[in-house]
Amino acid sequence: MPSFVKTFEFWNRKFHYYLGLYFLFFLWLFSLTGLMLNHQSWFTDLYERHETIYDPDIEAPAGETQLSQTLDVMRQLKLKGEIDWPAAQPVGHIDFNVSRPNGAAQVRVDLNARHAYVKEFTNGTLHAFQIFHTFSGSRFNQPASRRDWAVTSVWVLAMDALAAGLIVMVVGSYYMWWRLKKRKTLGVVVLAGGVLSCWVFVAGVL
Amino acid sequence: MLYRWLRDLHLYFGLFISPFILLFAASVFYLNHGKLIAGTDAPAETYRDLDVPDGFDRLKGREAVDRAAAILPQVRLSGEIGYLRYVAKDRHLIFPVSKAGFEATVDVDLDARTATVKRRSMNLWESLSYLHKMPGPHNAAIRGNWVGTGIWRLFADATIYLVLFISLTGLYLWWAIKSERRAGFVLLAAGAFTFVGLVYAVIR
Repeated sequence: MPSFVKTFEFWNRKFHYYLGLYFLFFLWLFSLTGLMLNHQSWFTDLYERHETIYDPDIEAPAGETQLSQTLDVMRQLKLKGEIDWPAAQPVGHIDFNVSRPNGAAQVRVDLNARHAYVKEFTNGTLHAFQIFHTFSGSRFNQPASRRDWAVTSVWVLAMDALAAGLIVMVVGSYYMWWRLKKRKTLGVVVLAGGVLSCWVFVAGVL
Repeated sequence: MLYRWLRDLHLYFGLFISPFILLFAASVFYLNHGKLIAGTDAPAETYRDLDVPDGFDRLKGREAVDRAAAILPQVRLSGEIGYLRYVAKDRHLIFPVSKAGFEATVDVDLDARTATVKRRSMNLWESLSYLHKMPGPHNAAIRGNWVGTGIWRLFADATIYLVLFISLTGLYLWWAIKSERRAGFVLLAAGAFTFVGLVYAVIR
């Protein structure tokens, strides 16, 4: 066997369990939250949240753009998270929602009165846990949506890394299995069963 | 003996669910970074003389959805009904129908017994993302109203349970290789540190 094949096999094997060990907790989080998302009936009061309302005076928000003014208001109100603006702003207002897994806030700012009306929500632990699965700050079917909180971008990077890691592990495992002569036949049958089952859905047959 | 059994189960269960893992993993990139570019919809089609069930003015939930599903074969559709919207003013019933590959909006005039159907096809990435998100948390009371969604739910659940099984057996198989324990511990600890650090950064 050529030495580069030996080197590849050595590292492919190591990568398989090193990646698995590194991503273990991420994998468990996305597995368990995936199960939660598909079985909402298992939970009662999942979406119950604690609500706090307050209406502080604020300083005129600094900045020229909607984003910079919103960020300044958030700084003053000590709010953090992904920002979501309504399609249209009332005149003399900055209205926005800000959210992260453990909570959210609806903020209405009267710029002339320099006054903010804030409705803040704190999510329960299980609800917060579930939101981690979908917390990407972007929706593919809403082209205008984009991430504006650096922490979300880092979380998305972790999601991407897990996805890439899983793909590498799966492809690497195909090679390791193929080298096991005694397990080739049954492996082909099992893999074909998986591919066929998956294809039935992807092709829209079911 | 236990080692051999677990190694074989790890291998064969892994092979079976590997296409599903690839589907879930690949669709993550589209869900996180993709943007839907609205394509050209096919022209709306009208179907007449439909056999339309009654009761949409008073029925809700799964019962209403089951009745709406009876209209689907008549307009040459099959798939999951997303929700129902009954417009009392002109007695119209409007609902989306979808499965991997396409989605459609059905607008039924209950009195005229006609239906207008607008179809839109999905590209492969959209189809993978659609499956990734199904059945999902929305409208849980009526979700799974099409047999395909019900079966997909079973496969999605099986994938999760088997991923958990494979990760646990993977831990056991790694632990059995004594020479890899130290490096494995370092990576496990690094992963745990990254995980806790990120979760803390998001919620603090």
